[in-house]
Amino acid sequence: MQLAFIQPGTSPSVLFLTVLAVAAAFLIVAILTRLSKRTRSRAIVRLDHFLPFVRKRRFPPGDPSLLVRCAQRLLPKHWFFNPVTGSEGALRRWCRQLGPTVLAAPLRRVIQGICFLTFSTLFFYVCWPYDARPVSEGAASPGWIFQGLDQASGEIRFSRDPVATEIANIDRIYAQSSSGTSSWPLEVISLQEGEATFSVPQSETAEILQVLMLGTSPWTFFESEPDKWPSHYADNLRAKERLPADLFLVLDPLVSISTAIASRSWVWSLSAAGIILVVCVLIPRGFCGYLCPLGTLIDLFDGTIGKHVTRFRVGIDGWWVHLKYYLLAGVLISAVMGVLISGFVAAIPVITRGFLFLIEPLQTGSLRSWHLIPGINAGHFLSLFLFVSVLALGFLRPRFWCKYVCPSGAVFSLGNLFRATERKVESSCIHCDKCVRICPFDAIKPDFTTRGTDCTLCQTCAGVCPTHAIKFVERWNTVDLKEHNVPPTGETALGRRGFLSLTAGSTAAVLGGAGVATATKVTNPDANTRPLPVRPPGSVPEESFLQMCIRCGECFKACPNNVLQSLGFSHGLGGLWTPAVAADWAGCESSCNACGEVCPTGAIRALPLSEKKDVRMGLAMVNTVTCLPFAHREACQLCVDECTAAGYHAIEFTRVGTQTDAEGRPIEGSGYLAPLVIPDKCVGCGLCQTRCFGINVEAKGLLESSAIVIEAGSGKEDRFTDAAYEEWQREREQKADISTPSPAAPIPLDDPFGL
Amino acid sequence: MFLVRTFLLWLLSLTFAVAADEIEFLNGTTLQGRVVAIHKKEREVEFEATIAGASQTARYPYTKIHRVVWKEKEYIVTKKASGTASASASNKRVSRTVAEVKEVIAEEGATPPPWLESTPLDYPKTLDLDWPQPAPEGWNNQKNVGQYIWDRINPNENRWRSGVRLMMHLLEVHQGNSELTQRVERSLGAMYFRFFQDYARAAYWWEKAGQPLDPPASVGLAECYFRLGNKAKATRALDKAPLSIAKIKLLGDMGDAREALKLAGSVRMSQPHELYLTAGDICRLDGKFTDAILWYEKVLTAPKARNEDYEKRYHARARQSIESVKQFELLDISKLADGTYRGTAMGYEGPLDVEARVRGGRIQAVNVTQHTEKQYYSALTDVPAQIIQKQSLKDVEGTSHATITAVAIINATAKALSGDPE
Repeated sequence: MQLAFIQPGTSPSVLFLTVLAVAAAFLIVAILTRLSKRTRSRAIVRLDHFLPFVRKRRFPPGDPSLLVRCAQRLLPKHWFFNPVTGSEGALRRWCRQLGPTVLAAPLRRVIQGICFLTFSTLFFYVCWPYDARPVSEGAASPGWIFQGLDQASGEIRFSRDPVATEIANIDRIYAQSSSGTSSWPLEVISLQEGEATFSVPQSETAEILQVLMLGTSPWTFFESEPDKWPSHYADNLRAKERLPADLFLVLDPLVSISTAIASRSWVWSLSAAGIILVVCVLIPRGFCGYLCPLGTLIDLFDGTIGKHVTRFRVGIDGWWVHLKYYLLAGVLISAVMGVLISGFVAAIPVITRGFLFLIEPLQTGSLRSWHLIPGINAGHFLSLFLFVSVLALGFLRPRFWCKYVCPSGAVFSLGNLFRATERKVESSCIHCDKCVRICPFDAIKPDFTTRGTDCTLCQTCAGVCPTHAIKFVERWNTVDLKEHNVPPTGETALGRRGFLSLTAGSTAAVLGGAGVATATKVTNPDANTRPLPVRPPGSVPEESFLQMCIRCGECFKACPNNVLQSLGFSHGLGGLWTPAVAADWAGCESSCNACGEVCPTGAIRALPLSEKKDVRMGLAMVNTVTCLPFAHREACQLCVDECTAAGYHAIEFTRVGTQTDAEGRPIEGSGYLAPLVIPDKCVGCGLCQTRCFGINVEAKGLLESSAIVIEAGSGKEDRFTDAAYEEWQREREQKADISTPSPAAPIPLDDPFGL
Repeated sequence: MFLVRTFLLWLLSLTFAVAADEIEFLNGTTLQGRVVAIHKKEREVEFEATIAGASQTARYPYTKIHRVVWKEKEYIVTKKASGTASASASNKRVSRTVAEVKEVIAEEGATPPPWLESTPLDYPKTLDLDWPQPAPEGWNNQKNVGQYIWDRINPNENRWRSGVRLMMHLLEVHQGNSELTQRVERSLGAMYFRFFQDYARAAYWWEKAGQPLDPPASVGLAECYFRLGNKAKATRALDKAPLSIAKIKLLGDMGDAREALKLAGSVRMSQPHELYLTAGDICRLDGKFTDAILWYEKVLTAPKARNEDYEKRYHARARQSIESVKQFELLDISKLADGTYRGTAMGYEGPLDVEARVRGGRIQAVNVTQHTEKQYYSALTDVPAQIIQKQSLKDVEGTSHATITAVAIINATAKALSGDPE
């Protein structure tokens, strides 16, 4: 869901939200500061939340923090440290069993767990459309005659033959005249055998009054609104979406920054990126340490599989240590050239695609059916290879990806230059090296001070510090600090090797970024030689689309029946992993607008259903050579039925092969009724193609390929960056339908009605 | 409090005293308020009424207004029809004298339907509006009007109104050309009859076109008289029509089952399937189920039909009809279990699916869920409505000209209800 208040064009709200988020961050900081055990220290900000490794307190007992005091009051006594016996509490024992990092900084692990679960829930539950059910039709009560209107109260009366009511115990019915197609909601005052009284909602009075007074045909009352455009898929997603389904994608700053650069436009998710970057000024690189589900997954992998394989381990120092910056530079250079490849390597798109291609098929297979898993192409293998590689990097060093490769992490590392808080080491440090060994991000220098750009403030080091020498305070705090470069680190700011690697890396970044951008442009297929892919409804124009689609795969997951499928290399490097309609597989559900709702960048615009139903994503083209009635092979109206049932009424019949008698008159029943697409009504949903393919090609084997096919291209689709489809469609329909009422003239008394 | 209420009542009475105009609509309901304006050109009355305390102003066309009281003087704007005339197919029979039928045709038939004005004129630019006949150079539905009607308008319900609109346009274009005018008028009659079962307008245009009408049209005109409420006039018209299955069918519909069956028995046809089915349907709608089964069985033993497809369809219809007639005796709707029942039967061209909902021993709903019928859609709603109203399958009456569809719906419903619910 694209939060309404941070949609483009609503900058005051964006500002407000940013202020709000920063205020919240300050509040967290303040609470942590308040709750700190060292409240009497001279630090302004104190973010400590780690569990000290050493049980013996430096502070007089009986002065625990507010948080601990609350917990001690609410939870069983034996969970906590016993100051009398000096024995360890149960909480600490449990944490110890889970491992040293949990023991040292349990809060961080809890937050990581919550975020990972949230991400998984958003992906596997919120974006799982198959629990949506269409609203049942409800009962109908026909044959009611309008009896009259009570002008004083506005109540309207109906009557009919006294037969048992089909509808009972209901507050509101929908009334439809048997000669009309519109229906009106009416509030039930009484509804009994043969007699009914209703009140009319104020807003509807004028309109329904006309129909009531002028009509002579009987009315039918419906329990639920008749002929309502179905919305069960859209409703289902909206109901489940307590948090935006694309929450983590919009929080990944590289996603929005690179999209904005590539498309040279304001991308709405930039505001989310801005918020997280501002928050990370207070909690430097906190995204990587706490929020990122890919990081958590890597932690899980490293902790379960990675730690058993040590033969590939590499040292702490190497040419790769600044890889992420060069990767970031390359991706941004490519974006500057108008080619968006950041989604290939940005953290959240990588894990989203990994889940999509690896676990989603298992979900579909086990919960629905194994034959409902769509086919795979080279693109899937490449994505899986990338995902597995990201995990396998853990064999080199734990969290190798996050530390050295992840370009999203690089954005936060650069953001860390503006950090307001940081890890500080006090002079009580005894050079025991425990912190260096446990640090998951290699963010501690040999002299035990901090590499400011790498530290994620996970606080594991502080937990294991035997002398409580580590604190997390404001950047300019200099109280009791340990001396720099003791013991000597042997690091210089920029040595010969550093200079060389900087030069080589920068060159590689420029060449790589420019190279990939050029390769993408070169492999972009000629529109004349290859049919254009049909894009999801609400997609922005193709050029912008390729510049805005981050290739995360979220839309595939949310799309019911996998109408949207990932392109491989069929449309060049630029088309890789972009969504295209696979209409042979399934057609776009009329009641669904999920793809736009979950798109993090706005490549697919979030359109309300009322607008989405008018969006032309393509145009159905009948193959008049193979289509069964056109080929005079057999009667077939699958596509027409499908289109009518979906409510589009975009395919009509034309009679072909009519035989004539001697006088040239047509013979009744001769020839076939063949489908004819009305271009103005067809939205290109592809339901017709699915049906033709499913029955005539697959089930009956009558055709080689579907005889009706959705095609995209100029004139066949409507793709706007910001225009409203609904209005545009209405304008198109009402070209000339304007009658001007004449002004009221004085009424002549002799023959007022001119009869 | 009391004072306030009295004041309000006084105010209210004051408004009425000043503006006590009244408008009575054709459906018998009335509104009180004030005539704001009378738009003679558009033939509309602009009327302001206070409803539940809020003022509503709207314009009502003359054709819907029966009577207006304006400045304490009464004006009859449109006379009320003598019978309960309803343009659409209705199972309620009306009875009219010959003079009344004539009046309905002259008044209702002559006025354009309300939707006509708002229907856009929409036809291919390549169409030759001169409508030469016979059409030159073979079949081209984008050029020849008749072929365009046949290929594109007839099979598409969405185009029926614009078809009528096109005919009205042709009338304007060819004013004074009697041959073409007559052709258009005939076509208009057929359209109102086939598409809308609008008998008054169909009869008006067919009468206007004048004799000689082609055989289907002359049976159709007779049917119009019958549906408009005068059987004697219909019979006289039908007598003039040449013998055809349509004629036999209409006789059956008119209740002359004996006469119809006599004619059916006297006809010799090389391809008698349709005839036997018609005769079976007539017996069945007349309540003579044993005779009906005999006729249906004749279909199964008749000589081969000219086309395998046709034969399959005829046989399916006959078999299903026999089955469903037999089920009539066994079926007790009041003992049916609650639930949704589904059944299929052969329609005019292909299968027709029906879904019936039963609750508390009553048929709550009958819906045609899938069909391939191309016209006489009224049967699709009319027959289910009759089944629900009568709570029986036995004495459902066929809808005009749509006996096959009607029988198919009954067959499918019978089949559904004799099965198990979902």
